[in-house]
Amino acid sequence: MKKIGLIAMTLSLIPLLFGTPVGAKKEVSFFLALYDGLRPEYYQDLNRAFNEANPDIDLKVIPVDWNKLHDKLVVAIAGGRPPDLSVIGTRWLLEFLDIGVVEPIEKHLSKELIDNIEPGAMEARINNVLYALPVAAGPRFLYYRSDIFKKHGIAGPPDTFEEMLTYAQKINNPPNFYGVGMSGKKYVELTEFAYYLLGNDGYFFEINPDGSYGKCRVNDEAGVGALTFMNDLVNKYKVTQSGVTAYTRDEVQDLFVSGKLGIILIGAYTDVILKQRGVTFKWDYGLIPRFAGKDRHPLMITDSIMMFEASKNKEAAAKFLEFFYQDEWRLGFDKQVGFPPVLKSVGKMPYFQAPIYKVMVNSMSGAKGWPLIPQWAECNDIIWDAIGATFLGQKTPKEALDEAAARIDEIREE
Amino acid sequence: MDKNLASRPKVKVAFWITESTLAYLLLLPAIAVLIAFMLYPIVYVFLTSLYKTNRIGNLVKFIETDNFKTLFSRREFWEVTIRSVIWTVLAVSAKTLVGLTIALLLNVDFKGRKLARTLVILPWASSVPISAMLWQWTYNYDFGLLNYTLKITGLWKHPPHWLGYPLSAFFANLYVDIWIGIPFMALVFLAGLQSVPPNLYEAAEADGASLWQKFYHITLPLLKPVLLIATLLSCLWTFNDFNVIYILTKGGPVNSTDILITFIYKYAFSFLKFGPAAAMAVVAFAILLILSLLYAWFYFKSERY
Repeated sequence: MKKIGLIAMTLSLIPLLFGTPVGAKKEVSFFLALYDGLRPEYYQDLNRAFNEANPDIDLKVIPVDWNKLHDKLVVAIAGGRPPDLSVIGTRWLLEFLDIGVVEPIEKHLSKELIDNIEPGAMEARINNVLYALPVAAGPRFLYYRSDIFKKHGIAGPPDTFEEMLTYAQKINNPPNFYGVGMSGKKYVELTEFAYYLLGNDGYFFEINPDGSYGKCRVNDEAGVGALTFMNDLVNKYKVTQSGVTAYTRDEVQDLFVSGKLGIILIGAYTDVILKQRGVTFKWDYGLIPRFAGKDRHPLMITDSIMMFEASKNKEAAAKFLEFFYQDEWRLGFDKQVGFPPVLKSVGKMPYFQAPIYKVMVNSMSGAKGWPLIPQWAECNDIIWDAIGATFLGQKTPKEALDEAAARIDEIREE
Repeated sequence: MDKNLASRPKVKVAFWITESTLAYLLLLPAIAVLIAFMLYPIVYVFLTSLYKTNRIGNLVKFIETDNFKTLFSRREFWEVTIRSVIWTVLAVSAKTLVGLTIALLLNVDFKGRKLARTLVILPWASSVPISAMLWQWTYNYDFGLLNYTLKITGLWKHPPHWLGYPLSAFFANLYVDIWIGIPFMALVFLAGLQSVPPNLYEAAEADGASLWQKFYHITLPLLKPVLLIATLLSCLWTFNDFNVIYILTKGGPVNSTDILITFIYKYAFSFLKFGPAAAMAVVAFAILLILSLLYAWFYFKSERY
């Protein structure tokens, strides 16, 4: 009898060896990048609400630090277990397309959803195929201490980088207070250098007539000029915090929030961060400066949600996107991350009629994004090394950028 | 008696019932796991080092030793390899010296010895990534405990950006690695010291031997096998210490704290270049294999004498 019972128990466990039983929920995993300002309650509520509304689907929202997201995705892809959906920096899209893991997303989504998205945010539409859905479009701003500016008789934000230097010199008071923040520690994005490069009418690559990228041009007059100016702020005029190579942009942001910086070039979302952290000092914002005599070309960063080709539950994943892109959830997301909305319907809401959002939208005019090339992660790394070597006095800006450009052209030919 | 045994009819038993066969059968799952999770990846890495791969590490084309040739022609590879050796030598030397000193002290009976032993273990008991994150904050120039303490005590009015400059960042990383590794060395040496017969020290004392003479002629020789094993293990772990450097500086500033293992990670998972990354892993394997063989030769040579 005992033997029969044992056999019966063993037989009943066998089905577990063959995967999920019939009628089980469809599993959808979503890597959500941790935006500054995005509270855990938001995505926990989103997860819960979606699962309650769709009892046949088991959604798992997995929060991932931005600086670790790229590596995490690569490991997941190489291990054959990518998530169904993930937020990505749109600059990574070409890399993932090159690997062959991207599912063109448009065919899974409703026309209403697609038509409700701001056309300007559709950076992931390549050769008329929409590969990923825009989730955030991040203009960049100059934030400054309006109380300190007033104290020194400075009227408003600087229009040019030269003016920024003048203002920074006036308000600089080391070691307790610095004129302008500068990050020199390698980060997943090259935003710091991009502000100065684009503000000097430069870019990372030559653009061929057909729109493709040519040789790397970071070492041209615009690029060298930009890095020279950055290095002068740090080492010649000493208007930045010391030890810039120890600071990522998040750490520079912390310095501004703690009241140690007069000016910072950062994402427009910092407005939300400052309010969330209850800073007591007065601050204001303006557009990212340009060099005197140059046109303004601010940096525009877009992030997207990508569906993986290996997803076993594409329709369930698409259902989540339809749910997430409802006005209610998009409003909550956009309010917390501090970016202008990517949905037209949300853009019309009273909350986004505030002056700061109008400035954000206006700032996108003439904006340039990251180059969309598969090797961008390595190019990013190489240019960061050039910047760090310059700040540390190991190379001149020209030497550092010449080496970087040569190396970048080499890897693009590999 | 033998005749009785020989005349007994042979009883057929199930093959898994004989002791040795059962032992092998029970070992099979462990062997399968070892093959799947250790041998297979090692063989695959060797193969990958000889192939051109696509961006997710699939083998595309056999290119013989091209990955190695590319690697050896790059100055940064040699810089990183030499730095890995320096890092290992410095860290293991410090861990051995300090660990041995602590073990000698803890081997003496004093009031509070149990508490002291517990405190020594703490750095090792915490998870390495957590410890590294704590030190990352401790080293923070503006808000970290280290600089705050140095400033308010007046010990150093303008302390440096520990993680901001190549030399200070290298030694800051080194310090954390040593801090985490000392407890293991101390405990292993302590266990070794406790196996030294006390009557040897008594006899030496009766002969008028000094503290140093007792240490040099009794403690060290008897501790040698333990010293060798502990330092070998420490070398292997330190050479491949990814966590501390990745969390503190990610190999920066400007790759000045990159060692081979962090460089391999960067090539594989940031640049998606699995071929060169695998080649570097093979080089690291070769270095550590040579080191282990040297140790083994030295160990068995001293055993013979």
